[in-house]
Amino acid sequence: MKKDTMKLALVLALMVCLVGSLFAAGQKEGAVAAAPKEVVTLEWWTWDSEEYDEASQRAMVKEFEKTHPYIKINMVLLPTKGFETKMTTALGAGVGGPDVAFFSVASWYPKALVLDDLIARDKFDIGMYYKGFWDTKTQFNGKTIGLPLGVGSSLVMFNKDLFDAAGVAYPTNSWTTTEYLEIAKKVANPAKKIWGAEILTRPFRAIWYNYGPNARLYSPDSKTVEGYLNSPESLAAYEWFYDLMRSGATPTVSDMSTLSTENTGPIDLFMANRLAMATLNQGHMLNAVKAGKNFGVVREPGVGDNPRHVNAWSLLVGIWEGTQHPEEAWTFLKWYVGPEGQKFLMDNANLFPSIDAVGKQYKDADKDYVKAFLEILNDTQVAIWRGAHPSGTKVEASITDLWDKIKLGLITKAQIKAELDALVPKAQSVLDEAKKTLIY
Amino acid sequence: MNNAITIANVRKKYRQKKMLVSVLTHLFMISLSMIFLVPILWMFSTAIKSRWDIFLWPPEFFPKVWQWVNFRDVFTRVPMLRFIGNTFFIIVIKTIGELLAVPLIAYGFARLRFPGKNALFMLVISTMMIPLQTKLIPLYSMYVRIGLIDTYWPLILPAFSGTPFFIFLLIQYMKTMPRDLDDAAKIDGLGTFGILYRILLPLCIPALTIIVTYTFLWTWNEFLQPLIYLNTYEKFTIQMGLEMFKGIWSVEWNLLMAATLATMAPVLIMYFFAQKRLIGGIASVGMKG
Repeated sequence: MKKDTMKLALVLALMVCLVGSLFAAGQKEGAVAAAPKEVVTLEWWTWDSEEYDEASQRAMVKEFEKTHPYIKINMVLLPTKGFETKMTTALGAGVGGPDVAFFSVASWYPKALVLDDLIARDKFDIGMYYKGFWDTKTQFNGKTIGLPLGVGSSLVMFNKDLFDAAGVAYPTNSWTTTEYLEIAKKVANPAKKIWGAEILTRPFRAIWYNYGPNARLYSPDSKTVEGYLNSPESLAAYEWFYDLMRSGATPTVSDMSTLSTENTGPIDLFMANRLAMATLNQGHMLNAVKAGKNFGVVREPGVGDNPRHVNAWSLLVGIWEGTQHPEEAWTFLKWYVGPEGQKFLMDNANLFPSIDAVGKQYKDADKDYVKAFLEILNDTQVAIWRGAHPSGTKVEASITDLWDKIKLGLITKAQIKAELDALVPKAQSVLDEAKKTLIY
Repeated sequence: MNNAITIANVRKKYRQKKMLVSVLTHLFMISLSMIFLVPILWMFSTAIKSRWDIFLWPPEFFPKVWQWVNFRDVFTRVPMLRFIGNTFFIIVIKTIGELLAVPLIAYGFARLRFPGKNALFMLVISTMMIPLQTKLIPLYSMYVRIGLIDTYWPLILPAFSGTPFFIFLLIQYMKTMPRDLDDAAKIDGLGTFGILYRILLPLCIPALTIIVTYTFLWTWNEFLQPLIYLNTYEKFTIQMGLEMFKGIWSVEWNLLMAATLATMAPVLIMYFFAQKRLIGGIASVGMKG
């Protein structure tokens, strides 16, 4: 009996070992043959705009998921006003951030995953992007932190109906700041509350750069303010602005603050036929097209034969460094901001792609406004100087008093030079301090 | 006779004078109310205009073609009804939370004696001084770690521990009630909870009305916290829905105004229902507090 029990136990033990080894072998074999890939869900934070609305973005996600069954995209559509707050909170917390998102604020750049190794490993063709946008928008501290989605720029839109009514010829791309002033005066009709041009909001955008290489906040080596902020070119730019403000062709400061919407430019006044010319952008241009507005597009005015500048941008889309799924996030990012995604958004919405080869297929490429916009993008980008001079924003903020004094008519034209000279020590001090805090 | 005529005349003159004062008072009040109504009327005017006609000169109060379609677009462009429903859900749960927690806490501070009461009270009150913005990152971090992001819990849970302002309000209200009430209730056999729920709370209805009303209004108007804690579009609240009409390059003022008008209705209805108690409540809390 005892022997039988032992035999039975031995047989059972052998059977267990046999079945176990077979099961293990089978499992190993199965693992090698076809490991079912786990579905990964990525969180993508976005907003909608004139160039890519909610519907087109949701459709794009479906298109992506069709060819990438193991990646699901959870599209988090946020109000544009709240995007910055939410993103800053998540990045500040260091948890709960998006896998992929717009990195539209410079202070977020250190939190973006560096992509250089992934780009090199996959031989991802960065040459397909417009070089100007690649150089100015995707690099931080010498590293690539995202890919550029779409292109945009400031441009001058003019209302052809108002020009025709005033009998004024349309501006052309070769126009100058002097002509801008003359046209604004001619086309303005104060009796009907029609203004020729709007108040430009801040200094040192394309027009100021057009005044010459010394019309800058400070020297190219970021050391000296003297001779730049108060250079003859800067003075000329400020005097031109003074003349514009005193021309009677622009709304007053209070008109502008009452009748325009914060952060959206003077689009409402332009669309209501109350501004003959306005410095707007490609998003506003699409609104005007949609509303059937009779308008034209030119670049911002130049000065003599000086090189022309453009205030252009692209939206940086990056991967949060804290993502749990960097591989999948990279797969989505390179599809979304690559030729497939940008073409999808171009065809199904109104994105102007940052990829030349895709942009050539733009549905309205033969329309005047598209041609004019694309031509403007060839000018030298203001962002090149800005990118190379990260202290510029702080220095600019230190001199805006003069800008306000001119707008409000608190000084005469003859006093501008003295005001600029007086601002130099303050701006120099701000520059010196700002450089110390740079993380570059 | 003369006397009678004189008295009748005096009465008549008095009535006429009274009527005149009444008419003038009403005219003044109506004019004043019109001034207060102008923004709402302008909102209505904007809501029935087409998008780019809002800034026309001269301004038109009534457009040539009334764009009633704006009100339809508000509900088709974004799931506004769903957002309203979500907001109501949060309001109801939060109100229940406040009504459960606040009386208990307030009663403890107002009526019970225990060591460290004053220090604890100061601690509760001091939390009113900390702006939400400074707590946002740690709160977000905490809710992420416990897996409550993209749920309504971060919006609801704090209500179940009572809002400090409401606690303070109710403490002040309860403190004005004579302790004799408690003593009488004790003699009649009521315990602590009996005194709170059967004696004191029925007398606190004006203060509780304020708590309900403010919970409603604050939650209805809350934008920041839902923005931070919610990710799924279908879970968004009314204020997030309104923000969807503000684009990156332009604002659809006509739709935004139509949406605002449409979503003002529940607030107005709430006010009309609570009006009497609310005004009485604020006045009495003011006097007692």
